[in-house]
Amino acid sequence: MLVACALALPLAACSSSGSDVPVLTWYTNPDNGGQAEIAKTCTAAAEGRYRIVTSGLPTQAAAQREQLARRLAAHDSSLDIISLDPPFIPELATFLAPVPEDVAAVVSKDVTKSALQGASWEGALVTAPFWANTQLLWYRKSVAEAAGLDMTQPVTWDQVIEAAASQDKLLGVQGIKAESLTVWVNALVASAGGAIVENPEAPQDEITIGLDSDAGRAAATILQSISQTGVGGPGLPTEDENASLTVFQGDSGSFMVNWPFVWAATQASVEDGTIDQSVLDDMGWALYPAVSADRPVAPPYGGINLGVGKYSKHVDLAYEAVECIVAPENQAQYFVSNGNPPASSVAFDDPAVLEEFPMAPVIRDSLELAVPRPQTRYYNEVSSGLQETWHPISSVNPDTTPQYSTEFITAVLQGKRLL
Amino acid sequence: MTAQTAPAPAPPDPGPQRPRRTAVRSDRARAERRLGWYLAGPAFVVMLAVTAYPILQAFYESLFSFRLTAPEDRKFVGLENYAVVLTDWVFWRALLVTVLITVITVVVELVLGFALALVMHRAARQLRGLLRTAILVPYGIITVVSAFAWFYAFDINSGFINQWFDWVPGISPDLNWFAGTGTSLFVIIASEIWKTTPFISLLLLAGLAQVPGDLEEAARVDGATGWQVLQRVVLPNMKAAIMVAVLFRALDAFRIFDNVFIMTNGAYNTEVLSLLAYKTSIVRLEIGLGSAISVLLFLCVILICFVAVKLFKVDLASSRGEKS
Amino acid sequence: MSALTARQRIGWGVITVLVLVYALFPVASIVATSFKLPSQLNTGTFLPETWSGTNYESILAPSGAAQELFLSALRNSVGISLIATAIAVVLATLAAYAIARLDFPGKKLILTTALAVSIFPVISIVTPLFNLWRAIGLYDTWPGLIIPYLSLTLPISIWTLAAFFRQIPWELEQAAQVDGATTWQAFRKAIVPLAAPGVFTTALIAFFIAWNDFVYGISLTSTSAARPVPAALAFFTGASQFESPTGAISAAAVVVTVPVVILVLLFQRQIVAGLTQGAVKG
Repeated sequence: MLVACALALPLAACSSSGSDVPVLTWYTNPDNGGQAEIAKTCTAAAEGRYRIVTSGLPTQAAAQREQLARRLAAHDSSLDIISLDPPFIPELATFLAPVPEDVAAVVSKDVTKSALQGASWEGALVTAPFWANTQLLWYRKSVAEAAGLDMTQPVTWDQVIEAAASQDKLLGVQGIKAESLTVWVNALVASAGGAIVENPEAPQDEITIGLDSDAGRAAATILQSISQTGVGGPGLPTEDENASLTVFQGDSGSFMVNWPFVWAATQASVEDGTIDQSVLDDMGWALYPAVSADRPVAPPYGGINLGVGKYSKHVDLAYEAVECIVAPENQAQYFVSNGNPPASSVAFDDPAVLEEFPMAPVIRDSLELAVPRPQTRYYNEVSSGLQETWHPISSVNPDTTPQYSTEFITAVLQGKRLL
Repeated sequence: MTAQTAPAPAPPDPGPQRPRRTAVRSDRARAERRLGWYLAGPAFVVMLAVTAYPILQAFYESLFSFRLTAPEDRKFVGLENYAVVLTDWVFWRALLVTVLITVITVVVELVLGFALALVMHRAARQLRGLLRTAILVPYGIITVVSAFAWFYAFDINSGFINQWFDWVPGISPDLNWFAGTGTSLFVIIASEIWKTTPFISLLLLAGLAQVPGDLEEAARVDGATGWQVLQRVVLPNMKAAIMVAVLFRALDAFRIFDNVFIMTNGAYNTEVLSLLAYKTSIVRLEIGLGSAISVLLFLCVILICFVAVKLFKVDLASSRGEKS
Repeated sequence: MSALTARQRIGWGVITVLVLVYALFPVASIVATSFKLPSQLNTGTFLPETWSGTNYESILAPSGAAQELFLSALRNSVGISLIATAIAVVLATLAAYAIARLDFPGKKLILTTALAVSIFPVISIVTPLFNLWRAIGLYDTWPGLIIPYLSLTLPISIWTLAAFFRQIPWELEQAAQVDGATTWQAFRKAIVPLAAPGVFTTALIAFFIAWNDFVYGISLTSTSAARPVPAALAFFTGASQFESPTGAISAAAVVVTVPVVILVLLFQRQIVAGLTQGAVKG
């Protein structure tokens, strides 16, 4: 039958109808259809060696992990290629097939520093960097000007808070009890020269939490001042990335830390006519704020890396497919179509990218500086424990919160407390 | 097989509807017994299989320290998981919140449900269909849908409630309902009440139908006011229906999960027992600890049920008119 | 009944309006939300500024972002709930007949078990079921949800049907037999017409309960192979992972609510009868 097929039909037609073509299932996080598009591109490029089908994961990062962990623990062989949120990579690394050396060399070439770090565990690359996200400081040019803040220079949180307060405007930050709060606190602590987890590779009961430190207190001080000055607004305790954008686009918008999706989303709103073009014209961007002027900024890092399931029946083919998926031109294409920035620094040079995302160079700079969240197998406990103790922001007190959260997370990790 | 293991002497019939000829026809009785178990056995076995087996398994798992992503570290820890759970205020807080939600929803639903039952009972024929249909709509709606509807209506960004009700003291466009324990619980409870009141009101409607009309009539003729009739005639005759309604709803409310999961996911001290069990075993993948919470939740329900079934039985007797 | 005074008429009018607002307002609210443009979700008004079908397109149109997700979930929900209902009703009919009609020890045990199962905390059995299912390959399959759904549908079916059957005048069967009909004829001619409405109503109620499930749905599935609608709503996404899928969720919520409203409209009388008899006589 195979012979007949090869003789009678063009190969492409064979691969779509023949049952003997290995099917690789790619578990994708939700996007605008870009991953499905790349799956098609790579299936076509494979010329019948494999066929990639995509299957969706839940919207929330934590729910994605939950589901993947359950299936991987069940030795599910249908997990060939997996889109993984970096913080959960260490925990799931034991269920991933090791990256072959030649593949590792190809997929890590020209990758931005934070993305490479986020794709590794215990010093080795365990996933292929695919796209890398980072938060920028978005600002309304009119407000920054009125407040007299020079946005061509790096700014600090204190300056941003003061500028927003002086103009009686709201600051867009993510105060909701969710992963975004950990993203924020991690960036603050890292920028203050600390780390939420001091020894991320340690076993569960030996992990040392680094929040009860000057860096932890510096982070808490910034949250406290946002809450005390009222620049967070009434929505702060439930404010997620989307709600921050709503505030920013509104009359009281001033500054906002957020992922680059806000650019495409604002453009879409202008097209729908719900937002005035002047808002878009008023939008500026800069590197994430620093904790203090004398320390380097440490913007949040996010994104997606690709892992190959250990129990997959086609590990080699899956890695072949991964190599195809993360090719810089696919990353650039994905950025343009879906707004998710590439992990590879060369993909930023694509002219289409620069045209669509004028802030691309700033994103690339930010990705070189960005610091991943704690890379520990117990990330979920650390992150949930942090959210439990740092939310709501109005309750954060530099004198007590860092110490209490250190004790709490430690107790949870040692199995002495519930979450 | 079941017939053989069943106790030989037939107990006094617990629920006789038809007069029974107590003729000693033991072979016929035996055949009836066997047929009874043949017919009811499959349902009985399925019910046990889908609940008793898993809960026993949960009890077994609760004796281990076991994290799904670290299967190699699984070890037997005896009752340690229970010690951790029972000494943690998080558990007691969840229990307290669950009880609070249960009590408030049941009380409000009893009053509201009774009002709706009266409406359905008294409505003229041409209105009855319309009213019943309207009241049944929330009953049929998926709880998750109800949770989203209420959440979007109150949400500070997408909601309209703040705009509509800003004349009410305490409500302003800046009120963030999901940023406080009280206000979050208010919306959660409102959604729960909206969705489940129809059920309780139907149970009460059944009770209303059982109140003898002539008694009511007689009381009216004697000059009793509407309120007096309600208090002296209607309510006493509905005691059984009320108890049933309270029992069913209380146990159902105790399991509340969907509304809390959608609206706050436990933020602002709104975590309930089911959510705590879910988060521990499904989210954290701490199977041992999560199973311990599951078993404790089960024991709580058994406790309530035990107390309630005692009440329930007493009232069943009175509803049959065996006692006035 | 027809002799209502003017005051009574007004009173009933007010009551009817109040009940309608109570019952339908949240539904109206989500219907309104479902017609809003994604960028107009935050205007704080009840009605959309511009009525738009975008959200429905995204879940129903072939090009819609969530179409595959939603339609497969709808198929799963309908299929799984129907099968779980059918199995429960068959088993419950047999059991309820035995309970209402026959004298055998253990009646009370069965009714008590049904009660115990119906109030069983669902979350308590999810973890062990999950472990068992992945061991025997039922995880993320239809049977993997149908079986636990029986714990929801079977008890209420037994209670409702037992109450129904107790009210059936079984003497009719004997009377028919006296008139010369065989046992089977007597059962079919005299009893089935009386019992059928009860069975139908029970099926409706059981279906609503299975249709409503969320906990099993999110815990025991992981792909569109078995994921039901309530669980699928958590998978919806906006234009990017950070944007709220409010519109698509609302539209999907409306779509799954429509059949419920239709069933309620058609069968309100039967549902009311089923629910009221089941509980009080039980």
